[in-house]
Amino acid sequence: MIVRSKQNVRTRLASDIGGTFTDVAAFDPKSGRLLLGKTLSTPADLADGITRGVEKAGTTYADAALFLHGSTIAINTMLERTGAKAGLLITEGFRDIYEIGRINRPDAYNLFFTKHVPLIERALCLEVRERLTAEGDVDTPLDEDSVHKTCDRLIAEGVQAVAIMLFHCYRNPSHESRVKAIVQARLPHAFVTASHELSQEYREFERCSTVAANAFIGPRVSQYIASIDAHLHRSGFTGHFLLVQSTGGLYESKQAQMQCVRMLESGPAAGIVGAQALCRTLGLPDAVAFDMGGTTAKAGVIYRGEILTASTALIGGYDHALPVQIPMVDVFEVGTGGGSIATIGPTGALHVGPHSAGADPGPASYGRGGQLPTVTDANLVLGRLGADRFLGGEMQLDTGAAEKAIRDHIAKPLRMSLLQAADGMLRIAATTMSYAVKGVSTDRGMDAAAFPLIAYGGAGPLHASAIAREIGMSTLVIPRAPGHFCAFGMLHSDLRYDLVRTWFTRLVDASFADLKKVFDALIAEGKESLARSQIKPAKTVIAYAADMRYVGQEHPVTVDLSPDVIRKRDRDAIKDHFGAVHARRYGTSAPKEPAEIVSLRITVTGVMKKPPLEPIACGGPTPSRDAASGTRPVYFAELGKAVRTPVFARDALRARNRIKGPALIEEYASTTVLLPGDAMRVDDFGNLIIAVGRRR
Amino acid sequence: MPTSKATKSTKAKTTRPPRRQTAGPRIQADAVLTEIVRNGVLAVTEEMKTNLMRTAYNMIIYEALDFTVGLFTAEGDTISIGLGLPSFIRGMSETIRAELKKFGVDGIEPGDILVTNDAYLTGSHLHHFTFSLPIFYDGKLTGWTCCMAHWPDVGGVLGGITTDIFAEGIQIPIMKYRKAGIVNQELVDIIQMNVRIPDRAMGDLRAQIIAITTGERRFTELLQRYGREPVLAAIRNIMDQSEQAARAHTRTIPDGTYEAESFMDDDGVEVGKRIPIKVRIIKKGDEMTIDLTEVGRQVRGFFNSGITTGYACAQVAYKCLTSPTDYPINEGSFRSLKVKLVEGTVVTAVKPAAMRWWMTFPMTIIDTVFKAMAGAIPERSIAAHHADLGVAMLHGISPGDGRLFLSSVGPSGGGWGAKHNADGTSATVCMNDGDTHNHPIEQLEAKTPILFERHALRNDSGGAGRFRGGLGTEQIVRARAPINFNIQVDRMHCAPWGLAGGHAGAGNQVGVRIDGMLKDDFLNAKVLSTRLKQGDALIIRTGGGGGFGKPEERDPAKVANDVRQGYVSPAVAKDTYKAKL
Repeated sequence: MIVRSKQNVRTRLASDIGGTFTDVAAFDPKSGRLLLGKTLSTPADLADGITRGVEKAGTTYADAALFLHGSTIAINTMLERTGAKAGLLITEGFRDIYEIGRINRPDAYNLFFTKHVPLIERALCLEVRERLTAEGDVDTPLDEDSVHKTCDRLIAEGVQAVAIMLFHCYRNPSHESRVKAIVQARLPHAFVTASHELSQEYREFERCSTVAANAFIGPRVSQYIASIDAHLHRSGFTGHFLLVQSTGGLYESKQAQMQCVRMLESGPAAGIVGAQALCRTLGLPDAVAFDMGGTTAKAGVIYRGEILTASTALIGGYDHALPVQIPMVDVFEVGTGGGSIATIGPTGALHVGPHSAGADPGPASYGRGGQLPTVTDANLVLGRLGADRFLGGEMQLDTGAAEKAIRDHIAKPLRMSLLQAADGMLRIAATTMSYAVKGVSTDRGMDAAAFPLIAYGGAGPLHASAIAREIGMSTLVIPRAPGHFCAFGMLHSDLRYDLVRTWFTRLVDASFADLKKVFDALIAEGKESLARSQIKPAKTVIAYAADMRYVGQEHPVTVDLSPDVIRKRDRDAIKDHFGAVHARRYGTSAPKEPAEIVSLRITVTGVMKKPPLEPIACGGPTPSRDAASGTRPVYFAELGKAVRTPVFARDALRARNRIKGPALIEEYASTTVLLPGDAMRVDDFGNLIIAVGRRR
Repeated sequence: MPTSKATKSTKAKTTRPPRRQTAGPRIQADAVLTEIVRNGVLAVTEEMKTNLMRTAYNMIIYEALDFTVGLFTAEGDTISIGLGLPSFIRGMSETIRAELKKFGVDGIEPGDILVTNDAYLTGSHLHHFTFSLPIFYDGKLTGWTCCMAHWPDVGGVLGGITTDIFAEGIQIPIMKYRKAGIVNQELVDIIQMNVRIPDRAMGDLRAQIIAITTGERRFTELLQRYGREPVLAAIRNIMDQSEQAARAHTRTIPDGTYEAESFMDDDGVEVGKRIPIKVRIIKKGDEMTIDLTEVGRQVRGFFNSGITTGYACAQVAYKCLTSPTDYPINEGSFRSLKVKLVEGTVVTAVKPAAMRWWMTFPMTIIDTVFKAMAGAIPERSIAAHHADLGVAMLHGISPGDGRLFLSSVGPSGGGWGAKHNADGTSATVCMNDGDTHNHPIEQLEAKTPILFERHALRNDSGGAGRFRGGLGTEQIVRARAPINFNIQVDRMHCAPWGLAGGHAGAGNQVGVRIDGMLKDDFLNAKVLSTRLKQGDALIIRTGGGGGFGKPEERDPAKVANDVRQGYVSPAVAKDTYKAKL
């Protein structure tokens, strides 16, 4: 290997903190090896768990040039409501819009419905006198005295954070900027955040909710990042500390400390980045990334090499959603995981989830007091999980307890056999999860059946083949170390800055000079952020896009624009491309209808050098003898009975090994189920590539 | 179901016994397949909803979600409805039944799409264009998908109040929009000729077609995956389970006859003449009869609705009381409900009754059913809510492009009633509306020459009680160019009542500011065909919910917090809640 710079020879370290486990992945360019470490999370001091994971992976902080990090701290602070006492400063007349929200009642017949609960109490939502028009002109000038009066109140209340949200600031941020300067001067120790710094898109409630969330989680999350930063430095780390955003892109820890709300979905995003990296290596243009853990299953899409993103996420579930209006990976989530509980309703209806036994008490088979039958218990009863193989044998499962739970709660009441009941639970779980996979793709007008499925997370490989069959997908990929996949994904991430600004104009009237001005401003902003990160990327890539719709429509689609059409001022090309995107997504386009631009988007990507995937040792079509770790009876509905099924140890498989289903492939944190009819081969990098058998 | 006209004498809907139409052994579906099909049909209607919303052209569909999509059996029984609006619970099913009656099963063929906006059939107004698609599987009619959605303009007079259906726009009887795959272009031409913004109408039409064809594709996939007979058997199980659940809940209500009364302010024509709303509920065993024969007779102003809505009122109330969270919404939930209606009331109106603002009165009828049941089942009931959309219809010439614009302020959130164990919800859509969103102000201001001066909660509007009613809202909207507007709000005088000693909330109210002079003391809350100059403003105030229990019994800590948050003023805390602050 040619050593080009110091950075190239030092390791790249990634750490993903989840609810239960802390995962560490490290890439050492000297040896070309990927090192992995998994430890239990240490909630009291999360940095402790990271350190242990680093040790377990056999590397050190001092060796690392980059430390990449994703964490559930931001989302948990929001969902568990453990954030700061915050105040909201908002345009006069509108202090209540945060509480009023979008006024909908999704649970339309439930007289006991409840609304979203704001993160900032009404008493601390205060008004400042100012008003801009939709064109960005001043209707009422900013009254600085009114700002000072609200500051007096915030000081008296002892708030730790302040959110600033003024109408139409995306057209003209001057009022917000001025208010922020005053507030920072008056409350020098508070975390102060203005809406236009996070979102320059219209929709006052959504933007308000976004900036309020940033204020609410800001003090805790920024402190967390600072403490990890300090810990890294104490441990001899001299490189750059980057965090994973909800887009899957990276940003520098100083930036993350100000824009905390951008890391809400860093965990799921990192997994999808990993899937994207895998696609690149395997030469797959498109794929669905599927992650299944203990309580939920999540699906995202890679389309033509790019991760699909959404412009808003609803945090906390649809009914009580607190929207966050910033780009995020588009993830479709269902409440089905290994811990999902099966129940029979009063009228005999069988449901699986969304209630979960979680990690505590956990499934009945964990023997920690859980009595109710879960998906994990069904897998155990059917023989898909081995009682003495869970977590590499570190945790013994109680098959008797699992059988009892399923028999008492499901099989007996429904007059089914134990195996039929367990199999039924898994079929219901698989169909429910298949809607997540379909949902994320059909929402975009894509046909999931044509996509390969990349499955990871502890439980993903157990169910992936059944889900692929439900949808009619023909190829399934189980990456190496699926239980560490999110940490692996971070190693493949790039620095990324997403800038969006609402700019309403009909395409026929659009001034290309003005359009260029907006794009240039966004690019300058993105490049400045990149420069501030002090990292010199391998190259910088700028992507242009516009949110467009037919005049009169509401929901726009994001249309990527080549710099060429902008330079050539080619309205027709933009219109045609919009029509094509619209047709793909909705199955129709209307070439004669006028189109309009809603928002302009720029993504500035600082492309980082990626670790190449590490090839594994090569073998023949037949797995070596040390890979065969015995057989056990496994029930398959397709065969109508339990059959002796071979079990393989994944660590002992070699590239080019082939296995036909039914079979089980076990590894430390996961088990892959090959259903009858499936044909698996191991590729050069140790991924399992499965040709999915036909659905019966 | 009520496709036949009710006679003048009271005619009860009969509950159908479980049907056994086919001879021989029936294919059964086990609990697993039943659950898979349940999730499957929910996914069908969800995807229909998603595709409609994302492709629709008008804000009333994409923000207000003023639509419903559904999946139905070959006979027109509801399998799953993707709301939309709760009040649409019956319209599509009735439309499909009427279509089957008109053409006969043999007159329906693959590739057909049927259309109508017949207000007396859908029960609502002419804006609700309803498209139905028969699903054929193995050559047999196996189900229907249907989409009812609100078009912003269907012709008719703009503003003011109508007194017959002919003033309200184009009427399309049941027709084939598409016959065996061929679109009836002449029908399309007629529609285009009769609406003010044909491009928008055609955009919405396309969105509705996308929704029903999406549903057809997905339901067909389900049939292919599991087989026709097993899927239909699973659907029967789902309906039977919903029936059992509804009956079980009904059984727990004490037997008896329950009555309550309320009233509507007026019909907009005869100002101040109240319209009585009287309901009677007879509960016996596991069945309930909701008798609406004594609600007021149909009125001259446009607040009437058809018999389908009479049934919908009863079904919505019944579902709220017996199986509110049972999904999918399906026919089974209503087999234990009987509805008594008589022709010619405000919810069983006959031609040529005006129907444009059909949605207001039914909500108060539903509220009144909860009032009647509050004594028997206080733990399942709720105090009254603002019960109005709180909408101002706007039109004018856009200064930007010189074209006609149609827009609205609202739907507006209002206060909901308190319950036996919880405060009412503030600023939430009325009973007619479900997953209905308000319009983003920043979007409205970019599209329409208006500027909101205020959108806020109305302090002290929630009815006092041990549990407090939710707060209503106030919106002040300034014209930036000349604008015509029309507001037809009710429940100003019939303020949302409390229960069990709880006080009433504030009623709905409207006002204007002309040349800087505020006027908010109109005799009713209906301000018709009024023009605003630049700088003038309109004001909509929605009511607060009724309270539950006596105010002096409210937890002092809650009163103190209400005062801190400003929901309740110190004066009301002291005088009404007897709080020591």
